[in-house]
Amino acid sequence: MLARVANNLFWMGRYIERSEHIARYLNVNYFSSLDAPNQLSQSRQFVLRSMLFMVGDPEKNNEIVLNEEKVLYKIGLDLQTPYSIINNVKSARENANSARDLISTELYEAINKFYHFIINYDANVFVKNGLHDFTVNITEMTAILRGKIRGTLLHDSVYAIIMMGINIERATQIIRIINVKYNDALIAQGSYDEKFSKSFEWTTLLKCAESYDMMRRLYKKTPTSISTLEFLILNQYCPRSIMNSLNQVYNHVKVLDKSIDYDKNSTAFLVGRVRSEFQYKHIEEIEGNIKTFIENILESLSQISIKMEKEFFNY
Amino acid sequence: MTNIENSLFSSYQKGGDLYDEIFDDTGNVKDVYQKLFSLYGEHSIEDYVKLNTKAKSSFFNQGITFQVYSDKETKEKIFPFDLFPRIIDPTEWDIIERGSIQRSKALNLFLWDIYHEKKIIKQGIIPMDLISSSVNYLHQMIGVDPPGGIYNHISGTDVIKHKDGKYYVLEDNIRCPSGVSYVICNRTALKRALFGVFNHYQTYSVTNYAENLLDLLETVKPKGVDIPNCVVITPGMFNSAFYEHSYLAKTMGVELVEGRDLFVENDFVYMKTIKGPEKVDIIYRRIDDQFLDPLEFRPDSALGVPGLFAAYKKGNVTLANAPGTGVADDKAVYTYMPQIIKYYLDEEPILNNVHTYHCSRPDELAYVLEHVHELVIKPVDEAGGYGISIGNKLTKQEIETVKAQVKENPRKYVAQPIMSLSVHPTYIDDTESFEQRHVDLRTFTVLGKDREFVLKGGLTRVALQKGNLIVNSSQGGGSKDTWVLKN
Repeated sequence: MLARVANNLFWMGRYIERSEHIARYLNVNYFSSLDAPNQLSQSRQFVLRSMLFMVGDPEKNNEIVLNEEKVLYKIGLDLQTPYSIINNVKSARENANSARDLISTELYEAINKFYHFIINYDANVFVKNGLHDFTVNITEMTAILRGKIRGTLLHDSVYAIIMMGINIERATQIIRIINVKYNDALIAQGSYDEKFSKSFEWTTLLKCAESYDMMRRLYKKTPTSISTLEFLILNQYCPRSIMNSLNQVYNHVKVLDKSIDYDKNSTAFLVGRVRSEFQYKHIEEIEGNIKTFIENILESLSQISIKMEKEFFNY
Repeated sequence: MTNIENSLFSSYQKGGDLYDEIFDDTGNVKDVYQKLFSLYGEHSIEDYVKLNTKAKSSFFNQGITFQVYSDKETKEKIFPFDLFPRIIDPTEWDIIERGSIQRSKALNLFLWDIYHEKKIIKQGIIPMDLISSSVNYLHQMIGVDPPGGIYNHISGTDVIKHKDGKYYVLEDNIRCPSGVSYVICNRTALKRALFGVFNHYQTYSVTNYAENLLDLLETVKPKGVDIPNCVVITPGMFNSAFYEHSYLAKTMGVELVEGRDLFVENDFVYMKTIKGPEKVDIIYRRIDDQFLDPLEFRPDSALGVPGLFAAYKKGNVTLANAPGTGVADDKAVYTYMPQIIKYYLDEEPILNNVHTYHCSRPDELAYVLEHVHELVIKPVDEAGGYGISIGNKLTKQEIETVKAQVKENPRKYVAQPIMSLSVHPTYIDDTESFEQRHVDLRTFTVLGKDREFVLKGGLTRVALQKGNLIVNSSQGGGSKDTWVLKN
């Protein structure tokens, strides 16, 4: 596979994954806030600020009153904002375009349909009453894409590269969402007697990661700060957890690098190292110092990405 | 079965002088179309409108589009596709197929000759001037032996049916003929929309093009290579034919590369993969001669690969088509095709040539200037239907302008009698009905070492504007699925 095309496929995976997380974040936060148990979590301003924080464009001025339609448009359909969902889908398609000879017709058609869906979505409808329909469609279409990736591609290096993109992006987005919700929980504590460890925001966080039901099944209790973080970071069986994503990245890098003893400068070596670090962590270590932990994991993920660029995407 | 009821065609107007592909002179449906005609008659025009809309969205979802740039945004458009197929019976196809092979072979021998001994010129059959004045003649290719002796691996032959019912070649395209992917897409789209009709006809499949292309390209691999590594090179995803490039690479199962993915070291070509450099032996190139190699041709080319031509000259890589083939699909060389075929193959041309007047010859120039109103005037070196003037469509003033242009640079122009392209019923969106439109046919011929292949189908192009004779997609043409029937 060409190095340039590999790079494009890697980013195709990342953009697909990214658009899904943003869409779900908008959906879950908006709709769960409508009947949230405390006033602050119900506040529209609080939710809009949280959304902007999540996409990495926080509104720093606390005095400003945000306009809901403007914020939604900015994150959803504005071609001028680099992080908007529409731009993510557009980039995913452009990357797929350049690798059209390597991916299946089925996958390409699905990406293309996705693109036409979003490019033709009426912005006015979206900001007024289309948020649910729009975001649900985005998450379903990304699920279809993952299905086509798994079900119609050869499970060779092409697949490995795409899956590494998806999983690195997933880990990145989940950790970012944890960061935002952790922040929200801090802000919300005290409002109507809400305790940090039992904050309503933990439920929202799990829903944002599509992991609420399974978490309830496993723990059989209302989510708390510690159980939520444990589930989303360390539980290897939760498909959205950081641990699970790292395991997947590790499995896929083995397809690209078949050596038995990894070179100490290789991507596989680094991935294995980061992964082992997490495998033998327990939640108490993390909980006490969540901020540093989040910074560290984001740094590790970006290191992996940089290593990949050097090793595989050198053109 | 002479009078078949078909409400779809109730308002179909038959132009008196035109050769209709499906109706004969007396207005009856020709044998080969009768079944199809009655099957389509089972639909109402409303059904048809729906099917047409569906077919369009199928093209959109498959991403078979080209980009239209405007100030504000880029829009994607699909190539117009017509749901009424064109049928070619086995006897006629046999002529077209043999004729296409004959021309391609003759052109290949001609190219070898003019880049080597130039016998055909020395023997006075064609004038030296024809070659030396052509911008597409590459002096760099003189004495170069392309692997396997093949120059025009892929040829696109544009054929029309005149009102006399005979096939004529309008031009040979042996640089980077495009359109083959649309042949396959058209078939796919028609199958999706009206699969039932295929039960009633024994039609050749068109999906075997890529495998044959790869097979034949592998017969002309460089010397000393065991299992050749083939790639398709594209100018990039913003090229209007990018879909076709990616389609070909995908169906051949080879890499689609851009110039920046390749490099040359010690006169061997390599591509940059995730596992380091990998040698490349055969390049199906979809970039023009001038952009192939900045060291040899246009120095500002960012699409090509520095050093590629040197590697080619050493015989370390096959380029398909070979550089410098453009000299032979020049419209002035076209006019010598009967002589070229006779000279190299000692055969009579199977497909007719349209009689051509060379404006470079004083007596013929005089005739042309007198008869502009009944001739088509073409620049010899333009592609895509640009610069063509059709005499009977010009105003008096325009005729004078054309005359002046021709006088100014006679070598640049040839003239031909106005050929009447046959017409075929075509669904027209604006009127929601079937109307007569002019069609041509591009066949695709692949030459390998001692073997050749013609795709049994080809691209029927339709001039969508009423009365228009120019079918190129860049001039608003559409296309039809084309069925070659089995014997």
